[in-house]
Order: sequence, then C-alpha cells, then structure tokens
Amino acid sequence: MRRLAAVDAEAARLGLHAGQKATDAMALVPELSTAEAEPEADAAALTALIDWCVRFSPAVAADAPDGLFLDVAGVDHLWGGEPAMLADFRRRLAAGGLPFRCAIADTPGAAWALAHFGQDGAIAPPGEQAPLLAPLPPAALRLEMQTWAQIERLGLRTVGQLMDIPRAPFGRRFGQAALTRLDQALGREAEALAFRRPPTPWFARLAFAEPISAPEDMARVTADICAKLCARLEAEGRGGRRFEIAFHRLDGKALPLGVGLALPGRDPVRIAKLFGPKLETVDPGFGIEVVTLAAHDVEPISGRQASLDSARQPTVEEGLAPLVDRLVNRLGEERVWRAAPAESHVPELAAARARPLASPRKTPPQPGDAPSWDIGAPRPARLFRRPEPVEAVMALTPDEPPTQFRWRGQLHRVRRAEGPERIGEEWWKGAIDEVSTGHVRDYYRVEDEGGGRYWLFRAGLYGASDTPPKWWLHGVFG
Amino acid sequence: MSGFRSSGLAALRVKIAAIEAGGRAEAGVLPFGDGRIDGCLPGGGLPLGHWHEIGGEGLEAETAAAPTAFTARLAAPLAKHGEVVWVLRRDDLWAPGLAGLGFPPERLIQVCARDEAEALSVMEDALATVGVAAVVGEVEGCDLTAGRRLQLACEKQGATGFLIRRRPYGGQARRAATGSAAATRWRVASAPSQPPAGEFGLGDPRFSVTLERCRGGRTGAWLMEAEGAYALEANDGTHPLRLVAELGDRQLAPAQPLRLAG
Repeated sequence: MRRLAAVDAEAARLGLHAGQKATDAMALVPELSTAEAEPEADAAALTALIDWCVRFSPAVAADAPDGLFLDVAGVDHLWGGEPAMLADFRRRLAAGGLPFRCAIADTPGAAWALAHFGQDGAIAPPGEQAPLLAPLPPAALRLEMQTWAQIERLGLRTVGQLMDIPRAPFGRRFGQAALTRLDQALGREAEALAFRRPPTPWFARLAFAEPISAPEDMARVTADICAKLCARLEAEGRGGRRFEIAFHRLDGKALPLGVGLALPGRDPVRIAKLFGPKLETVDPGFGIEVVTLAAHDVEPISGRQASLDSARQPTVEEGLAPLVDRLVNRLGEERVWRAAPAESHVPELAAARARPLASPRKTPPQPGDAPSWDIGAPRPARLFRRPEPVEAVMALTPDEPPTQFRWRGQLHRVRRAEGPERIGEEWWKGAIDEVSTGHVRDYYRVEDEGGGRYWLFRAGLYGASDTPPKWWLHGVFG
Repeated sequence: MSGFRSSGLAALRVKIAAIEAGGRAEAGVLPFGDGRIDGCLPGGGLPLGHWHEIGGEGLEAETAAAPTAFTARLAAPLAKHGEVVWVLRRDDLWAPGLAGLGFPPERLIQVCARDEAEALSVMEDALATVGVAAVVGEVEGCDLTAGRRLQLACEKQGATGFLIRRRPYGGQARRAATGSAAATRWRVASAPSQPPAGEFGLGDPRFSVTLERCRGGRTGAWLMEAEGAYALEANDGTHPLRLVAELGDRQLAPAQPLRLAG
C-alpha cells in the first residue's frame, strides 16, 4: 500500500498528512502532485547538511530522519552571543531555500521540543526550560507512539501536567523510557548524542573576508591553518595522528580532505605538505569562505632534542615516519603494511596486516614474548591469495605425495617430497553443520626435477565424497 | 716489473673508485665469505650503497620465487642495520616464508604499488630515507634513466637496492634492457636440493646463481645453498648463503652440472 511519507505546507493546509493512504489523498486533492520517497537521498542530504553545519560547531549529531543537533556550547561567543549566532544560522539556512525550525536550549531534549512544537527560533534562557516546555503537548518529549497515545487518552494535554505527576507513579504508569525522556528534556539526566564527527577540542577555523579560489591561495591558507593548530598542539605537548581539513564553499558545500600520520606529529610544514597533492582535487566553485582543520587521535608526545652527535642511530621520527606518511597518503592506507603474526594456522590467515609503525620494536626479540610464526615448518616465500588448481596429478596411494602434476601448462615431475602436513579449517568459528572432513587440507612440499619447490595441497579426503578430492598449488618456495 | 705493474693497477683502481664515488665514503661490502665468489666482486663482496638486479627465467620470471628467496637471504644481514622496504606489484609475498628463510619480517615494510612507474618512484623514495637499510622492488624492467636515479638515491644514505625483475602474470616478455645502471646483475634459479644421505624429504634450498654482469668485477656461476633455512637455530656470523660448487661453464645447463653438488 502506498502512503504519503511527507507533505509540504500547502498540502498540510488542504488536510493531508504524512502516513495517509495515497489513494485517500488523491481522492481529497485530485490535482495532488507526488514524488517517490527517497529515504537514502534524504539521509545523504542530511549528512551533507551536517557537514555544512560544522562551520558553526564541530559537534553535530544527526537526528534522523529530518533533524540535527548542534552543540553550540562554547562557540556562540564567536558570533557575539546566542541570538546573533542563531540569526546567522537562520539567514544562511534560509539562503539555501530549506524550510526549517530551530531552537536553542540547555538540553537536546528541550531544544527538540521547542523546535518541533514551540515557537520557531526560541532561545531558552539557561536553567529555565520548564516554563517554556510546560505548555507544549506531551509529544514534544520524543515519546514512543503508544506511550504518547496513552498519555493523551488519560487527558493529559501538556508537558506541564506530566511534570506535576510524582516520579514513581509516572515511571510505573508510562514506563522508564518516558521518565528518562522527561528528565533529559529538563536536564536532570544527561543525554549522549552520536556526533557525526567526534568532537575534538583540536580544531582551528579561518574565515576570509573575501572568498578565495586560486590554488596558491588554498595552499597558503592550508599552511596557515596547519600552523595555527600545530602551535596549539606544540604548546600543550601533543601531536595528532589524523588531520582533517574542510573547505566550506560559498554555496554551502563542505569539501573535506584528510591525511594520516604514522606517528603523532605536529610539524605544520610536513602536514601542509601532505595536503598539498590533494588540494588539486578540491573544486573551489564560486569561492571558499571558511577553512576548518581538526586533529584527531591526539596524544601527548615529548619534544625531542634534534641532534647532538652525528654518529647516533637515526630516530624513527626523522626518517621512517615521514616516509611512511608519504607512502600512505600517496598510495592509500591499505597499500603500506607490516606483516604481523595472527593466531591462525590456516596459511592465508596467518599473516595479518599491521600498521607500518604500529608498535615500537623490541630489539633483540625475546624468545616467547610475542606470538610469532613457527619457522621450523617450511613455508613458501610466495603464497597465492587464491590457490591455483593443478591438473594431471598422479599419486601412488591416497596418502602419498603426488609424483607429477601440471601447473600453468607445464608438467612437473616430482623428485622429492615432504608431507603431508594436515591443516584443518577453523571449525570452531563456523556453524556446526558446516563442519566436515572435506575441509581439511593435506599440504605437501615437493621439488620437481628442475629444482622448483612448490607447496601443494589436497582439499579433502579420498572416499569422503563421490568426486575425488582436488589438488591445488598454494605457494612457491623458490 | 709485474709487481710494479699490479701495484700501479691497484692505485689506478682506487683512483677510479674515488672518482666514481664522487667524494662520498663507500658504504662498504657484504662478503659472501668464500673466496671463489668474493674474488669476482669488486672490493671482495656485494657492494652496499648500490643497487643490484636479480632475475629468473621461465616460470620464475612470473612467480619470482627463487629470486625472492635469494634476495631475502642476501638482505637478511642488512636488516640488522635498519628497516627493509619491499615494493610489490602483487601482494603474494608471505612473511612466514621469509621468516623461515632467516629474514626478520618485523623489519619489513611492504608496499603495494599500482604500476611500474610508481614502484620505481617508491623505491627511490625509500632508498633515500634515513633508517632504511635495503629496498627490494619488483618491477618488469628498469631503463638507464630510472637506474641512474635509483643509484643516486642509494648514494644518499648508503642504502642497498635489490631490483627483482618480475613480469606480471600472463604478461608478454619484454625485451631485456641492454644497458643497466645496476652494480651487479644476477640470474637465479632453483636447483635440486641434496638432503643428507638416508634422510627423507627436501634438503636445504639450493640455487644456481649466475652473476651475469658485475661493474668492476668478473662474472661467474655458482651453486649455492641456503644453509639452515626452516631451522630454529639461527646462524649468526656466517653469510646465509653457502657456496656449494662453482659451475664450470658460465652457461647454465639445467641438469647435468648440478651433479657437482654431490
């Protein structure tokens, strides 16, 4: 059944409402024009709006499907107070042609109630939510549908009436969730918002009197804002691992760019340099009016003495870390790694990828301090991600290594062989009915007449099923 | 007379080496520990602070298994002094296998490049970095200009480069570059192992190694064995590759001369 998902002001005036059957609506207003609901597009638009709102405050949380929370604590002074900030916010939103309602209050719950049911643009003075909330209907408390319906049925028409009910009977009657909502609206209970970007106190913002668009200007403001944030990091003895810059265009779009560092750092020149090649991808459009930079994963780092004697070992900070940063930012994070032992005996899972400079190395490695690979068991230096099928395998008896096999069109006669080494699947990870003896692999290390050494395995056992088990080549020793 | 002549030659060699080094101190050599092979190499060992080309033949040109194992053994002593960066085109390099060959994987940074030019430029970048002892790169080929750039990068910090010639799977064989800026060029193939009599299975991995080109040295062909591979006892001090036999003719015949090993 097709229903109306949303109606505009004109439709609402004609008596239509969201949730109405489409056929009923058409009967009421025959000339109704409708468009398909696109929840994904709506969500994307909300995300874009949230990105745009970062210009006002770094802490923005989505209130799906059609709202957002902006934590303006501590930023309103940049505009000269909450009324001025709200006015600027309204002016800019209206310029975008978006219908909206907004309110400022101490708590997200109160702000939500005022924005949805109160006066548009209301600003609740600190600590005085209750009188403003009292005349609003109970639905303003973001209650579940049935709770709200029940409250209405009991003849309670305003939030003020709810506030007068003693807590214990209220909780018993309408459930703990309703009580929590009331407490959240009145600031008696904290509410955690899922901010789209984790609010970071390491945030810098540069606004320009005239919008900029020239590439060299963008490079310069990047260097400027990096210097601004890094000076703060330096003063507090900290460094960031990830830096995100956002260019806010005149038309309201925010273009984010990010770079990562292998080790926390705060060298503005280096960070600006990492942004350098990516600046070309930013389309300034009609111009950029605001640039913001945020540092994430900020950790304390100690200032280091640069150099005293030239004969000492080079530190990671001066050589390797910049190299890894250059490579990661150029090739992508998944293309630079250090192999780390993983606790699995299945060959393709035994080597996990770790960050190149994740852990400080211990030299020399102590026996038994970290899980490592068993170097006593021969393993190939080249392991194919997908084992390659081999054909024409001949083995004397089922448990014997093959005497010949064909791989990539070449027939290899086996001269020497070792095995089998039986490796089973990780049956404890799957469902119980998927476990079968057909999932074991018998690995053989074989050497052909030319000296080539290969790692072959037979998947499954003979006689386990009607078809004979297949042979695969998994790696080459060399 | 002959003594005078040889001493004169030696003096000239030192002069030329000094000119080639361009005033920089030589990074030293990595001796194999066997006169038969060190005698062919200038300075009595694998020159460090240069780059070396290593290739294979046949299927090995695509899998590059024997060159990989050979390079890992060669670079293992260098990993004591710094990090090793391995630039790949396909991520089929497997750390447990390298660990078995005696190469410390915790010293290895793997980089997967998207194309040939990127692989070469990453190699160059890594070679010029402080704290990197060796860089291994897998590329199809390297022309004179790119080779010269690699050499200049090697000289910055004295890092050693290893370039494994490797063709993409199913790729057409490219005409081998005639000239090369590499200090040495090796051709490596797997050779049948010889386990001790009465033992089952495979012996230590053997390689037939041909030094095809050597700047300031002689060429040669040898049969080498990776001693103590896949063994828990680490061999300290000695070079990880042991010379088993000298292959008399410089042309490798696949089967027969290998009997020398026994």
